[in-house]
Parts: sequence; C-alpha cells; structure tokens
Amino acid sequence: MPYHIFTFNSTHHVLKAEKLLLGKGIKHEIIPTPKDISSDCGMAIRINPVVSDPNDIEGVLMKNQIDFRIFVQSFNQ
Amino acid sequence: MKTVDAQGKMCPMPLIMTKKALSEISENETLEILIDNETSVKNVSRFLEEHNMGVAIEKQGNVFRLRVNKTGIIPEETRAEDFCETPMPVSSDYVIAVQKNKLGQGSDELGELLIKGFINTLPEIDNKPETLVFLNSGIFLALKGSPVIDSLSRLENEGTKILVCGTCLDYYQKKGELGVGIVSNMYDILNVLSHAAKVLYP
Repeated sequence: MPYHIFTFNSTHHVLKAEKLLLGKGIKHEIIPTPKDISSDCGMAIRINPVVSDPNDIEGVLMKNQIDFRIFVQSFNQ
Repeated sequence: MKTVDAQGKMCPMPLIMTKKALSEISENETLEILIDNETSVKNVSRFLEEHNMGVAIEKQGNVFRLRVNKTGIIPEETRAEDFCETPMPVSSDYVIAVQKNKLGQGSDELGELLIKGFINTLPEIDNKPETLVFLNSGIFLALKGSPVIDSLSRLENEGTKILVCGTCLDYYQKKGELGVGIVSNMYDILNVLSHAAKVLYP
C-alpha cells in the first residue's frame, strides 16, 4: 500500500493541518516534501493508508478550508 | 637527482606527480619526493612498492623525504589515483546530538515542525548516523507516542544506536515513558561524542 503525501501552499497550512490531525488523533508523519514532487524546501504530511484513512484527512482539511494536493508514493524508494 | 615537491598536495596529486616524474628519468636514477602528510606517504610508498621499487623514507620536521631508485617502468595504463586511500572511512561515523525538541533558532512551532521532518528523513538517507543522542528537551522525541517514534524505531532496527540522557528523563519525570533507545549517563554520551568523526547539532 503506497504512502499518501499531502502538500500545502504554505508552511502555515502545514502547521494548521498538523494541529487538526493531532486534535483528531489521526496518525501522520511530517516529512520534507519529496524532491520529485516539488523542488521547494517545503514540508509535507505523509500518511500510511494502512494506519490512517486518507479520506478522513481529506474531509478534515476540506472542512477547515485548507488547500492541499495529494501524491501517492511507493514504500520502497 | 630529480625532486618532486608534492607538499600541500592531496591525493591523487602526489601519486600523479610521482608517476610522471618516474617516466621522465632514466633507469637507476634516483627520484626524491617531498610530501607533508602521512596518508600521501603511505599511498605513494604502496604505489612504488607494488611496482617493485623500494622506498627510503626520511622524516624532517613535518616533511617526508621519499627516495626511490627507478628500477623498472610503471605501465602508462596504471591509474595512479587507484592508489588513493583517503583517511575518510566509508561507513557511517557521525553522531547526531539532539539537544532540544526543535530544530534551529526562531519560531518554536516552526522548529518543532522542522525537527520532525529532520528525523523522519533520517531512515531514508544512505549515510545513516552511527548514534543519535537525545539531551534536555530532545528526550521528548524519544518518548512513547512521539511523532517521530516510528522513524527512530526504524533507525534503531537498522543499527543506529540511540542514547537518551537519563538525568533529563528524570528531570522531566518521563522515565517510564521511554519509547526507544537506551538510558545513558554523561560518561557514555561524552564517550560517543568525543569519538565521533563529526557531530551534528540540529
């Protein structure tokens, strides 16, 4: 099952998204945005879909009007 | 007698200069090579000895004076740089000392975000640290339920040692909550830091 990587328009949105996920107890990881996704030195949120449901996260983010993009990445890099 | 001055030159320069000079002198002529670091002395000696030329090494102050009699020919196709043996070990030999639960100076919330990104990236890089040391508020990263606990466990499983400051666990009253690594005292920690080839302080 591939990782889902959520990227945002700004670091502030990453922080806001992280707070929301922490508040909901949704397991996630903060990672630097992988180079193949963006050359910006931004941060992103990685979800293991076995542990957390990406749909839950999408719901939470949309409800709070946080713009995001989703990338799917394989485990073995 | 021809002299090659390779002082201040790093590998492979002394080797290349030696090879070139040997090709320019005649059989049984003596070549003198001046080198100022031990690594290059070893490399050049090995290079000459493997081509059946004995080397006399004399140390004068900081300078090594190598003398060799040309007794044979070093084939043109011999790559001098193959005899380079840099003192840099290939295996991981660096230590990361995490002194707080944030990365860098400035905004606390940004620092907390950055340290998570930093530690979550470690399992994915080629050159993994030999040891991670957690001190002061850095210990919070090594507690059960920490946002980076999975990455730390992965690193530990793959051979990185994780040392957590016992005094710090005690101070913050988190002794029962350690999620990864071993509780260490300042002797162990200083021993690791002082023997590391380099230490990163995120």
